[in-house]
Amino acid sequence: MNATPSGQDAGAPPSSAWVRFLRSYGPTPNDLNLFDEYVTGALGRAKVQPITLTSPQLEKMKQRIESGAPGSLLIAGTAGDGKTYHCRSLWIGLGGSPRDWAGPAQVKKVTLADGRIAIFVKDLSELNDDQSDDALGLLERSVLGGEDKEFLVVAANHGQILERLRDIGFRQNRTNPLRKPIQDAFLLSGLVPERLAIFDLSRTAHRQSLEEVLTAVAGHPEWGNCLDCALRSAGRICPIFENRERLLGLQDGGVFARRLGDLVEVSKLNGWHLPVRDLLALAANMILGHRDAREGLLACADVARIQDGGVIERGSIYDNVFGANLPRRRANDRQVFRALASFGIGEETSNGADGLLVYGADDTKLTEAFSQFVGNDAIYGATPSYLAAQRAYLEGEEAARLDNGAAQFLVRLEAQRRRLFFTLPENETDYPFWAMTAFRFAGDYLEMSSALFERKAVSETIRSRLVRGLNRVMTGLLIENADRIFVASSGGFTQSRISVLCDTEAPARRVGGIGMALRLDVHTERPTLDVALAQGSGGSATFNLTPVRFEFLCRVAEGSLPGSFSNECLEDMLAFKAKLLRKAELLGSARLTDDEGEAGSDEEALTLTFIEIEQSGHGFSRPVTVRTAP
Amino acid sequence: MRPQIDGVDFAVDEHIWGHRLYDEQLPHLTVLEFLGVLGSNADNPLIATPDETVRYRPQRQIRLRGLLFNNPYVESVHERAQSDEDKWKQWGALFAGDATGIGDDNMVYLRKAFTSFDDFAKSIELLRSSAFEARSNKRWSSKFVFPFGPDALYEDLRVDSGGASNDRRFFARTGEILYLMLCRAKRGPELGQKLVERLYDAGAPMNRLVKALQGEPQLAQDSRPVGYLPFATHPRFDRLCDDWLAILSRDMPIYDALEHLIASAGLNLLLYFLERAKAQAGDSDPVELVCEIVSRERTKVRALSGDSYQANQALSLRAVRTAVEQIRLDEDWAAALVSDDPQGECLQMMRAWFQWPPTKDDEEADHTLKTGDELVRELVEKATSRHEQHFGKIHAAWSRSIGLSSRRLSRRTRYAPNDRLLKTLVIAIVDDRMQFDEFLQEARRRYGIVIGDTEGARLIKERQVDQEALSDNSANLEKRLMGLGLVRKLSDSCSFVENPFIAEGSE
Repeated sequence: MNATPSGQDAGAPPSSAWVRFLRSYGPTPNDLNLFDEYVTGALGRAKVQPITLTSPQLEKMKQRIESGAPGSLLIAGTAGDGKTYHCRSLWIGLGGSPRDWAGPAQVKKVTLADGRIAIFVKDLSELNDDQSDDALGLLERSVLGGEDKEFLVVAANHGQILERLRDIGFRQNRTNPLRKPIQDAFLLSGLVPERLAIFDLSRTAHRQSLEEVLTAVAGHPEWGNCLDCALRSAGRICPIFENRERLLGLQDGGVFARRLGDLVEVSKLNGWHLPVRDLLALAANMILGHRDAREGLLACADVARIQDGGVIERGSIYDNVFGANLPRRRANDRQVFRALASFGIGEETSNGADGLLVYGADDTKLTEAFSQFVGNDAIYGATPSYLAAQRAYLEGEEAARLDNGAAQFLVRLEAQRRRLFFTLPENETDYPFWAMTAFRFAGDYLEMSSALFERKAVSETIRSRLVRGLNRVMTGLLIENADRIFVASSGGFTQSRISVLCDTEAPARRVGGIGMALRLDVHTERPTLDVALAQGSGGSATFNLTPVRFEFLCRVAEGSLPGSFSNECLEDMLAFKAKLLRKAELLGSARLTDDEGEAGSDEEALTLTFIEIEQSGHGFSRPVTVRTAP
Repeated sequence: MRPQIDGVDFAVDEHIWGHRLYDEQLPHLTVLEFLGVLGSNADNPLIATPDETVRYRPQRQIRLRGLLFNNPYVESVHERAQSDEDKWKQWGALFAGDATGIGDDNMVYLRKAFTSFDDFAKSIELLRSSAFEARSNKRWSSKFVFPFGPDALYEDLRVDSGGASNDRRFFARTGEILYLMLCRAKRGPELGQKLVERLYDAGAPMNRLVKALQGEPQLAQDSRPVGYLPFATHPRFDRLCDDWLAILSRDMPIYDALEHLIASAGLNLLLYFLERAKAQAGDSDPVELVCEIVSRERTKVRALSGDSYQANQALSLRAVRTAVEQIRLDEDWAAALVSDDPQGECLQMMRAWFQWPPTKDDEEADHTLKTGDELVRELVEKATSRHEQHFGKIHAAWSRSIGLSSRRLSRRTRYAPNDRLLKTLVIAIVDDRMQFDEFLQEARRRYGIVIGDTEGARLIKERQVDQEALSDNSANLEKRLMGLGLVRKLSDSCSFVENPFIAEGSE
């Protein structure tokens, strides 16, 4: 076996060149700012077929230009979203030459068939002030002025374009008229001028992008070469090929990919943005990751060594998902690994799952489950070395009693917990897979989300748990009510922990325009919780239910909120509570004005409604009447 | 001609800042005193020219405050398993034992107001839960009910066998000064109208509850004039007024807004104190508050914010010294020195400027025998030593009270704003949303707060700190604000500070 990786070597494994090419997508330490340019070059050298992703956005851009509609295009996105890729593809699609594209000019022009001139700026940040002023001047003229002959195609990240527009505004001593509409478009809260087409690449649906990336990578035709590879002959396991198979999901019916999709979906709804470049890096890392490989990523030439050393499981796909094969710093450089780390998979666990993993091999009550969930996987599950480590831990060998003696087993335990998250069956009630994460209620969240999406009713369990959580936050009391929402105050500041004074109540479901409703926000595609105290748009306050807020409310409802749980959620909830109290305040004063014409019974007596709790935990409101007449 | 200030041994600090700012009158006590002045002038709120004398007649509400803070028996009686009738009787006897005799000897009206003793006890408990410092060990007559409305306001008092008197222990006129400042702000009258509308609603339920306990208001015997503020205008007065108007325009309950009004008043008063000190000492640079945003990792900004704190702490003493010494630079002083009676002339001039030395010289030293320089030296000594007792402690006391300074994770006090103050800043500055870097610039422009590298460019240039440390500091703030639900991140390069209480109709 040749130790130097080289596609040209006669003795090299058949997929070497492809694997090396894929490796360049992985989370290597090189800071590839010119990623699109780099890949174009690497592709030529490796002589393999490219990884192709469809881009629905690209088609829309082409259509927009081909329609002859006047005005400019803004391609916005964060690093790794494929701004340059889109820009270049569009350039070539419009008849620009690849040679001009590769040239040094930062501003490029191409004349279209209809005689218009498209001016391309592939990266606004590369321009100096004068160039940038020219470009933004054209942007403004073509969008708000009558410029129809020339238009701009500009790629920029969100911050850059807004900053440039602000700076030019300062220099011209005015507010640039495009800044606010563009900012609002980024924040999804306003209308964009008709002659400006904004393509925000960071808005794409993540789950679909992930699925597409996984298919393009794991289903790539170059893998066909592996079929003849000596490293897979005679029952040998190639970790690269094994991971690729698991990713493809032929054995597990796609469970792995689906769970990963869930994580990505939940991350997105929590506000993480995962650029396509990160998803590609994730895919490459899942397949090639190994703790003992150079830079944490395998090349074909490493495989024999790994096999001989019996350390295949150190490249487990379930660890690689979270970048466990990488130095922590490098993993943290990537948004995608930070996002996935926020689930705490590996650290989070349930008593049941840990019992299974620690005692499962010996305890007769657990044997069946153990063989079903762990024993069934001889490669990453119950490997000989795992079983040996487990035995050593249980039998308390001397080494295990020393400080940190168990550390090695604990690392393995983490790996097994990660594996369980991805492999436990969908409807397994003793070992629910979401319990292996910090988002124990994420399954319910996704269920609620899809129910709302399909305009179906949200499950009663989920709804009443939310109401209970909401009531507990509102009042600071451990109440169980799920039928109504108490809008409570302490009399003074909303920030006070305990609020026993019920300003008003609303039913837990919307009836006649009043009460709580669960809805889907069309822009963010997130569920929202909308509490209406009165009919009409002015009578309600809305709360965006991100997964983390949902988790917060559910945990409060179950009475088990870990102290470390995000302070952010409580602050958000208190702000929501303050808004509801403000609604109640406004409604209260409106009501007073309405009543003024009638006999002033209200003027002689004041009713304060206190919230009190029964033994059962059921809260009820008790009016206290105070006579205020002299 | 400087106005005569009563009740002081000499007037130095008074002419720099006014009569007077007081360290122990923390911002919430300042606002409470202010609300008393405003309530007394509710027909003409925050309207007075600098020449007019503002007067007010504060409420005393002896019955209300007695029931809330000098009434430890209500819980124990409430818990007794007895008839309602007995509870009222027993409580009545106990309360009468501690009564002050100032209008609180007949409390039978309470029985008519409340259906049962338990309802009464519950109401007391509710009001105590939101009161200021209800559990502190301050005297009961210095504890305050939340300012729910016109009936909930009263002045700080000393109550003893001799009756009740305002000893200026906690209401030391800083609230009066606040009132004058806002009168002299350009948009003062607009603010006055809004405050009266939102805070003086006699029909607000909690105010009615307070009124049921208090009965008819009890007022101080006479109306009195407010303190003295030397400036007819000042940019800080306008800043304060605009901040308050901004806070009141947010879509939040008025009782919540109050918390931010207090913090904002504290911050702006503190800046007034520092700005005036700087100006008096002849330093024309703007005041800077270099703030460390505390994070898990120790940062270089910590030492810098400590230095910034120390430098500002030293300002006021220097101001006092210069305020006295500058008399020697006056041309009248030079004329006095060459006159026939230099000692007498200087003495006269000292009296005109500082109300010192006293005309009735009952001290052992005979001031008429001293030279002008000796008088100046002596007054500097007296003034600096008096300054250190209270005025000199203002910076430390107020900055801690509003959550601007802290000793968290350090032995040295420094500027390290807490979450509540940060929230107030966002609510005051951000109308709906603002790019994060703009927010930093605005905080610098309005309050001299230095957090990021752009705002701290001077410090970087002087090599006091490197750029990275300050940009990490602003990244920490971004993280903190995100944790408070006040920042939305669009992508790595772009985030917005958002006001969660966007005014109705602006979105």
